[in-house]
Amino acid sequence: MNIDYSKELPLIHGRLSLGEIEDLIAKPMSEKPNRKYYIALAVTLTLFLIGAISLGYTFYYGIGMWGNNQPVGWAFEIVNFVFWIGIGHAGTLISAILFLLRQKWRTAIARFAETMTIFAVMVAGIFPTIHTGRPWLDGYLLPYPSQNGLWVNFTSPLLWDVFAVSTYFTVSLVFWYIGLIPDFAVMRDRTTTKVKKFIYSLFSLGWRHSNRNWQHYEKSYVILAGFATPLVLSVHTIVSFDFAVSIMPGWHTTIFPPYFVGGAIFSGFAMVVTVLLFVRKVFDLENIITVDHLERMNKVILATGMMVGYAYATEFFIAWYSGVPFEQFVFINRIFGPYAWAYWIMVSCNVIFPQFFWFRKLRRSIPVMFIIVILVNVGMWFERFVIVVTSLHRDYLPSSWGYFKPTIFDIGLLVGSFGMFFTLVLLFVKAMPVVSIAEVKAVADGAQPTHHGGEH
Amino acid sequence: MSNDNLQYEKKFLPGKVLNIGMALLAIGLIVGALAFVLDPVRAGFSYLLGFFFVLTIGVGALFIIALEYVAGADWSTPMRRVPEFLGSSVPFFLLLAVPLFFLMNDLYHWTHTAAVESDPILKGKEPYLNISFFIIRVVVIFVLWSAYYFFVVRNSRKQDETRDQKLTKKNIVLSAVFIPIFAITLTLAGIDWMMSLDAHWFSTIYGVYVFSGALLAGLAATTLAVVMLKERGYLHPRMHNDSLASLGGLLFAFINFWAYIAFSQFLLIWYANLPEETVWFIRRWEGAWSIITLVLIVVHFLVPYTMLVSAPSKKNPKRLKFAAVWILFAHLIDLYWLIMPEYHGEKSGFIYVLTEFGFPIAMIGGLVVLFYFNFNKHNAVPVGDPKLERGLMNRP
Repeated sequence: MNIDYSKELPLIHGRLSLGEIEDLIAKPMSEKPNRKYYIALAVTLTLFLIGAISLGYTFYYGIGMWGNNQPVGWAFEIVNFVFWIGIGHAGTLISAILFLLRQKWRTAIARFAETMTIFAVMVAGIFPTIHTGRPWLDGYLLPYPSQNGLWVNFTSPLLWDVFAVSTYFTVSLVFWYIGLIPDFAVMRDRTTTKVKKFIYSLFSLGWRHSNRNWQHYEKSYVILAGFATPLVLSVHTIVSFDFAVSIMPGWHTTIFPPYFVGGAIFSGFAMVVTVLLFVRKVFDLENIITVDHLERMNKVILATGMMVGYAYATEFFIAWYSGVPFEQFVFINRIFGPYAWAYWIMVSCNVIFPQFFWFRKLRRSIPVMFIIVILVNVGMWFERFVIVVTSLHRDYLPSSWGYFKPTIFDIGLLVGSFGMFFTLVLLFVKAMPVVSIAEVKAVADGAQPTHHGGEH
Repeated sequence: MSNDNLQYEKKFLPGKVLNIGMALLAIGLIVGALAFVLDPVRAGFSYLLGFFFVLTIGVGALFIIALEYVAGADWSTPMRRVPEFLGSSVPFFLLLAVPLFFLMNDLYHWTHTAAVESDPILKGKEPYLNISFFIIRVVVIFVLWSAYYFFVVRNSRKQDETRDQKLTKKNIVLSAVFIPIFAITLTLAGIDWMMSLDAHWFSTIYGVYVFSGALLAGLAATTLAVVMLKERGYLHPRMHNDSLASLGGLLFAFINFWAYIAFSQFLLIWYANLPEETVWFIRRWEGAWSIITLVLIVVHFLVPYTMLVSAPSKKNPKRLKFAAVWILFAHLIDLYWLIMPEYHGEKSGFIYVLTEFGFPIAMIGGLVVLFYFNFNKHNAVPVGDPKLERGLMNRP
């Protein structure tokens, strides 16, 4: 393969005109959903329902329905929380950090990734709320002067989570919505039915595509990107603090903050690739979300996968180097103990399989990347399982050793979280443009005049 | 666009630069020798300080080169020769490490066999922390780094004549392989040279901390050299001030990254309050060391943050020059804070001695001399690089 490095790769394939780009992206919203869509929705809603039933049982009988025991007090629900929060990291990374780094290829995937961020954080938010056991009392998590004289514990990272996640969600939502305004205006101008016109008009806030509109838009977009960037780092950093500020061997280690952030980006990108592979096929967006885009994302997956591998190796080495017998035991126990299967799933899915992405051919092959990103999703769920459960299940005294087995309700809640996420994704693809029309047009050939007269 | 056809013409650095480098080298060596006569152990620590300061500039520069190739960046192509020249110091460090091998007994407690035998923790670390394995690691690490430097720079220079795009491809592969190796080797180098000064203490984030400092040092030195050379017309005449914005942006980003890593390490150790971990911070909080710790926060984070936070300041040559010098100074304090408390230990607080800066000054002088010779021998712009034209056109 010979690449001409003196030219930038075109971001849009197939020489689409600006009008064609708009038609392509707007098409799913102007057509009635077909049979396949309803089948897909039925599947995800069923999964969602399984989760809802499990949740109902949990509410009625209490969290004793879960497999949590002594000493494993934190299990599936915390694992799921960390997993989904991690998924929610790719969106803001792509939309904010890559925007500040002026990576133009982000345009085709940013909208979708941002949307997934919002849905993933919504799913994640459920788990700590129900994990409190009495979710109807969760209002006390917010610090407000009350007559009960109750005040939250500001030195607890669990409280920092409340602030970090809610701030992240709010800023991501605003960022996502600002980006949608020009596209809502396009949809308003295209749509023919009255109801749709009303809704799109409402959300487009009177956008007129005028010079002044764009100036304000660009300015607020940069500022929000600046706001969102530290948030990407802060959320998973604080999630890592939930574990690392304790003195549990296996939890208390200083590399946790950057390691968690790297892992979150890794899993988030894997999930975005997973879903985009379907979306680009079903909605004929192969010329906009091109193989080049997927290849770049796979490179990020390779890089962040190695960061995670670096963290595993460092933790392991320093546990030995520290000379602390409890540290050493936890890591030996991870690798050879009763949860060795989980550890090896984690290592092979997160560190070994992504190495295939070193090869350009495999990086650009749709079936290969599909398998690898699914494996990465699995591996990253198991990473959190390994961290949470294996560190807890063998306490200092052998009399407090146990083994965690999930009950059907634990599994039901996990399945339900996927159901909720994909239901929301399916609703989104029919209601809003999955790719930012305005941004993609801006990177199309000829949209950026050069002094060569736009020739390439 | 009338000046579109301006091309790069090779200019030579004046002998003044060489003189400055030589003068720094001479002064530094004299002061260093004096320090050695006065207190050989303390001089050993200050040699390590100088060694690591200039080494981190070199390897930081290598990482910047690798990053450009792997990320496919074009904005940095017109100025890539500067990190290449700065990286030229890396192969020399294998030689510069030799005095440290002789000083190991003074620097590293774990080299004392008697102490190891009576200390079960040090005994446990013996398979890793022993003199022969230490030296093997140092040699392997420097050979790997030097090999990357030689190959990547050879291809880059060859491209000046052949303009062969295959060389870019070769360097991309080389850089992609180098980055994971670099992550591991730099971590090991940090643990070996600095963390094992207190052989009991450990922290998993240490490698990342060393990396954040090294990259910042490499970036700051690159920025300083690029701005100074550009102002005097040594670089491509079509290079625009706007192309400095990315350098400023990266400096700003990694100032924050360093603070993030430093804060994470502190918070987790402070919060957990385990005596085997807190001892390291307590040593840096005893007596006058607390002042250095506080100064570090201000000098290494708050001041450069404020200097570079606004968008115009990131491409203002004057501001960048000042910020780069400032950050290099802050990096020196950071390394001082990492290394020197281990010399003072529990016996005394922090006492400032001018002779401690002899070796760092000598090494900086050496880097200036190397830069001078490399600059005058080679093109200061990669004229054959296919991405050069793109880089010159790049306007944020």
